[in-house]
Amino acid sequence: MIQSPSSRADEPAPPGDTSAVLRLDNVSKHYRTGEFTVTALSRVTFQVNGGEIVAVMGPSGSGKTTLLTIAGALLRPSEGSVHIRGIDITNMNETELASIRRHRVGFVYQSFNLLEALTAWENVRLVIQHHSKDSEHEASIRARELLDMFGLSHRLNSLPKKMSDGEKQRVAIARALAKDADLMLADEPTANLDARRGAEVMALLREKAVELNKAVVVVSHDNRIRQFAHRVVWLEDGTIREGDPHSVGA
Amino acid sequence: MLLVARKNLFSERTRLAISIGGVALSVFLIGILLSLFRGWSQQVGSFVEEVPADLWVASDGTTDFAAAGSILPEGLSLQFEFMPDVETVGPLIVRPLEVSKTGADPDDTFDLQLVGYDPRKGLGGPLEMVDGKSPPGPDEIIVDEEMQSRYDVNIGDRIQRGTKNLTVVGISRGGDFIYTQVGFTTIDTAVDFLDIDPVGQRTFFVIKLIEGADVENAAKRLRLTAPQVQFVEGDDFAQETRDRIMGQILPILIVVLAVAFIVGLAVAGLTIYTATIEKSREYGILKAEGFTNYYLYRVVFEQSLVTGILGFVVGAGMTIMMGPFAQDQVPQFVVYVRWQDILAVAGATLLMALLAAYIPMRRLTSIDPVSVFKG
Repeated sequence: MIQSPSSRADEPAPPGDTSAVLRLDNVSKHYRTGEFTVTALSRVTFQVNGGEIVAVMGPSGSGKTTLLTIAGALLRPSEGSVHIRGIDITNMNETELASIRRHRVGFVYQSFNLLEALTAWENVRLVIQHHSKDSEHEASIRARELLDMFGLSHRLNSLPKKMSDGEKQRVAIARALAKDADLMLADEPTANLDARRGAEVMALLREKAVELNKAVVVVSHDNRIRQFAHRVVWLEDGTIREGDPHSVGA
Repeated sequence: MLLVARKNLFSERTRLAISIGGVALSVFLIGILLSLFRGWSQQVGSFVEEVPADLWVASDGTTDFAAAGSILPEGLSLQFEFMPDVETVGPLIVRPLEVSKTGADPDDTFDLQLVGYDPRKGLGGPLEMVDGKSPPGPDEIIVDEEMQSRYDVNIGDRIQRGTKNLTVVGISRGGDFIYTQVGFTTIDTAVDFLDIDPVGQRTFFVIKLIEGADVENAAKRLRLTAPQVQFVEGDDFAQETRDRIMGQILPILIVVLAVAFIVGLAVAGLTIYTATIEKSREYGILKAEGFTNYYLYRVVFEQSLVTGILGFVVGAGMTIMMGPFAQDQVPQFVVYVRWQDILAVAGATLLMALLAAYIPMRRLTSIDPVSVFKG
């Protein structure tokens, strides 16, 4: 057990800590469908450190999204354990898992998942205000800074429907960073973008991950993701394939 | 108000307008029906209340002025007058009738609550004269101003029932029962006009006691002299009259009020529910981002509450503004808007908002945040 007794989801990570941000130990996930049991993940073990980008690749149905949702405290594993910044989240209840997601995990989604009624600025500000105790004014300043950082200062008051897909994905990354979470999980972040915009978004994600010492897991089909990752993990039939020509590390 | 609730609510203007409109319509209906009930209730009892009598005397089994089913012998009047504490005893003949204006289509009838009174005693006669003369002479009648405006019955016109006629000689105020109006004649005219036989029958007696007399004790003493007769205080008699008339309306009113409430609830509930279903994915995103169910409940409840508040403001405003306007257009539309009723409608609206949010809030619980990773 890595979790210290005093560890809490909303406590900041120790400064200069380079230990594993995400650690999965022998994680399996089974689903029951009628009389059958389907194994989505089988004894998966891997870890991601701060400042590191890991690409999880594999064919459709290989268990990538299941892995991502377990790592993101959205699903509980059937077996094994999951630690985020040393906190064992394996057996946490819904409220505790929500707290972990609020403070420790930033998500970047395939379809951006911005709130349509909120402007870019408000989308980011909402997350800041909810996860921290910042006042509305402070949250507004921080949201503006983040969007500036992603070259979106001219889009602060734009609604998602008025933005290009590339811009939406940059807002989504800004939102994921807004929590100041140690772990960022990206699900097919380039799937809805053309090659040029996809490359721009990945370069930006890598740059900010390294600069801000974030651990990033990118789940994707897209082979072009490889060039932005420090490591690639190949997943097939719910298992990390040792010795696979694509597999590095794990 | 939470940012998400505010933005979700006001970004869909048409839906918001429909939702507010539904609640406002419901509030308006509830408000106007309550005000109508109050207005009628006040109106139908006011004549009896205003008659300057301490006690109303009626035969057993008759409890109100409207039905006027009482029959009393004229001689009781003398008996009561000799009792201590009694100042005046006024005999009344009261009869609900259907009459028409002479010269008009005989089928074009209207209701009249004929009151024959003794002008020498004054009790039970016109409360306030607006025009013409008082008291009326033989074969003459004083009609209420509401009858004048509603049926165009003016001084000089003749009112007929069968072969009998009465000439209108005055217009009075304060005798409107909404569904009928009071017309005053002398006792002798009433006996003749109604063909009362034997002529000594009276409907009620109204008793005025000397100043400072104890009404309850006086009633007790009077009861000893006439055991088959009941003595009712003026306010109680007015209330009985109200209950008799409004009691017929109340069950219908309750059903209409319930329907109005359900309509408002259904409109608000459906719009909030469809908005929640439409935004299911976004609620899923919020869950994935670590927002708690409590936060999401607040989002939905605040939307419902604000819809309710805005609907209430519009609906209550319509009630307050349109009530008097409707009363001007339709005489029977007597409304009395009480702040207590407005407060009750506010309570009903709050309940509507709570119920409208309940099912969408339950729906939120079932949203799986993992679903946001699918496409």
